This record gives sequence, structure tokens and C-alpha cells, in this order.
Amino acid sequence: MRPDASKKLAAVAPKKGPNPVVIGAVVGVLVIVAVVAAIVIGGGGNSGGGSAVPTGALGGDGAGIVASKTPAKSGAPTVDIFEDFQCPVCGQFEKAFGATLTSMADAGEVKLVVHTLSFLDSNLKNDSSSRSANAVACASDAGKFLDYHSAVFAAQPVKEGDGYTDAQLTEFATTSGITGPALTTWQKCASSGQHAKYVTDVQTAAEKEGVFGTPTVKLNGKDITKSLSTPDTLIGQIKAATK
Amino acid sequence: MRLPGGERSAVLIGLVARLILGVVLIVAGALKVTSPTASARAVRAFQILPYDLAGYLGYALPVVEIVVGLLLVAGFLTRASATVGGLLMLAFIIGIISAWARGLSIDCGCFGGGGTVDAAKTQYLLDLLRDTGLVACAVWLVVRPRSAYSLDHRLFG
Repeated sequence: MRPDASKKLAAVAPKKGPNPVVIGAVVGVLVIVAVVAAIVIGGGGNSGGGSAVPTGALGGDGAGIVASKTPAKSGAPTVDIFEDFQCPVCGQFEKAFGATLTSMADAGEVKLVVHTLSFLDSNLKNDSSSRSANAVACASDAGKFLDYHSAVFAAQPVKEGDGYTDAQLTEFATTSGITGPALTTWQKCASSGQHAKYVTDVQTAAEKEGVFGTPTVKLNGKDITKSLSTPDTLIGQIKAATK
Repeated sequence: MRLPGGERSAVLIGLVARLILGVVLIVAGALKVTSPTASARAVRAFQILPYDLAGYLGYALPVVEIVVGLLLVAGFLTRASATVGGLLMLAFIIGIISAWARGLSIDCGCFGGGGTVDAAKTQYLLDLLRDTGLVACAVWLVVRPRSAYSLDHRLFG
């Protein structure tokens, strides 16, 4: 009979790695940690504030606000602007194209729809985007959307991330001509975050339609951001889209 | 204990692979874990998964990256954690190639940030090269999980 070498072999064989049970346990714990983390963090986003939809919003599901008081003429194209009040390039866009778009909207030549996004809050670790988005929605209730909108951009801080103070937001309300009882209503709306849920919904709706950057400009639903050069070419594009 | 020359350099390569993959994962996770909303948005910007699922993935990813990174640096359950780390990198590579192929101009959000950027500022090739290198580290560790200064070696021999 041959000598049994199995014991010798076992002694020199390399030791096995960690027990599969240990691996399984650690992987299991890892999965549980990840799922719990996702649920806790994901569920924590419900901020207080009211769920009122501002005057001028095209719908309750985070649709944009029609910016102009003049109804657009029939056949006038729709221009959607997605912007965040803390985004410096949005400030530049407003400087370059704001007056053109406002005057066309006021003449009814375009239906201007503004989507005020708030994603920069999480990048910049403040809450100025959502506070100012809520504040401009409150101004829309008072019929002063565009005035308030341009007041915010005119005061955009030089350094991205410095944000807007509550005093500034109130000052924008007075400079946009909200006075008397309307100012009291605006103040209440702004400080209670009456449109907080609407502001979150606008952000969600924008991401669902694939808008992940600001400013994004759409003409009749088509993204024309990359083709923007001068106000005149924008006017040309809008005229060409007019039926 | 003295190891034969070839084996000795192999365990040192294993150590380097562990540290590179582990430290990159820890840094990437730590930069994102404090801004879960931004992380969720960065995953959504790839426009591959449904909105909600992408969001949950975005919340979970930084935590997973940190845990796997710590396991790798410690050298604990090296083969299993390198497998997870390598699969993560493969998923990132697929996502980046897909975004590039569809003509999106996004930041991968690998180290925070994310979302649409100027077309001139995309860096898909660089991201792909980095992640391919990290896959190589992971593959080495899956094939040869034995490495110098590892908890595995101390605990399990």
C-alpha cells in the first residue's frame, strides 16, 4: 500500500483565505448599510413650508412660471429658461439676453417660461437658491415676477456661494414695486417658504426632462443653449419659430 | 518571514494596488458623502437609470465607496472588496462611455460636482483612463489577493 501523504500535503498546502461566511456577512452588512443610508438620506428631503403653487405657474407639477403679464400672441413660440439665481453664467445670460427676452415677452412675441432651479444649494452648501426661488414665486403672486427676477440677478454676488440675505430678498421686493398690503403678503409668503414644495418640484421636473445644467434655454422644447451668441441671433431664432 | 524574490515583489504590488484603489475610493466617497443631493443629481445626469433609482444610487454610492475603500486600505477581505471595487469601476466606465456616446456634456461627478458642463470642459477620456487603471488594480487583487501589511494575512494567515 502506498503511504498516505494526505496529512503531509495538508500541512504544506497554503492556508485557505477568509471563510466564505465572513465574506458573506461583511457583504451583507455593506448592502444593508447602503440601503439604509439611501433611504434615510433620500427620505430626509421633506422640508417644511407650504405647498402652494404660485400664480403664473403652468401647472402643479413643478412647471415653470409664465414670466410676462402680456398673453403671448397666437403663433408666438415658447421659450423656456432654466436658471439658478446663484449661477454666475445665468447672471451673464440675464445681462446679455434678459432685456431682449423681457421686451419680446411684454410685446407678446414670445411666451417666456422661467424655471427657477435650486440645485446649487447642495453644491454651495447654503440655501440661497431655494430661498430666492421661493421669493420670486411669492413675487409672481404679486404680479411682479420679472421685476423681482431682474432685481435678484442685478444683485448677484461677485463670489459664487455668498448667496442672498433675507434683508436683500426683502429689498428686491420693494425695488420691484411690491408695496403696502402686497408687501405684507409677500413677506409672509417668503418667510414661511410658502412655495418651498413648488421650488423642489421645479427642480425635479427639470431633471426628469434632462436639464442638468444652467442656464438651459429651450425654444419650442428644443435645447438651443449651445447656439446662443448675440441677442440679435436669438431674436432671429424666435422670429423663425413664429408661425 | 523571508519570501522568495518573486513572491516578495508580488505582495508589494498587491499592497500598492490596494492603497491606490482604496485611497481613491475613500477620497471620492468622502467628497460626495456630505452633499447627497448633489450626488443623486450627478447620477441622474447620466440619464441611464429611472429618476428615483438613480437618486437612491447617488445617495448610497459615497457610503459604499468609503466602506470598500477602508476595507482595501486595511487589507481586510481583500478579494471580496477588490471585486466590489472593480465592479464599481466597470459600472462607472460603462456609464461614462454611454454618456460620451450619446453626446451628453456632463461632469462624471466622480469626485463631487456633476451635471452638465460646457462641452469643452468634459474629460471623458481622462476619467476612462483613470477608471481603467483602477480596474487593473482590482483585477490584480482578485487574482492575487495576498499582499503586504494586510489584515487578511494577520487574521487568516
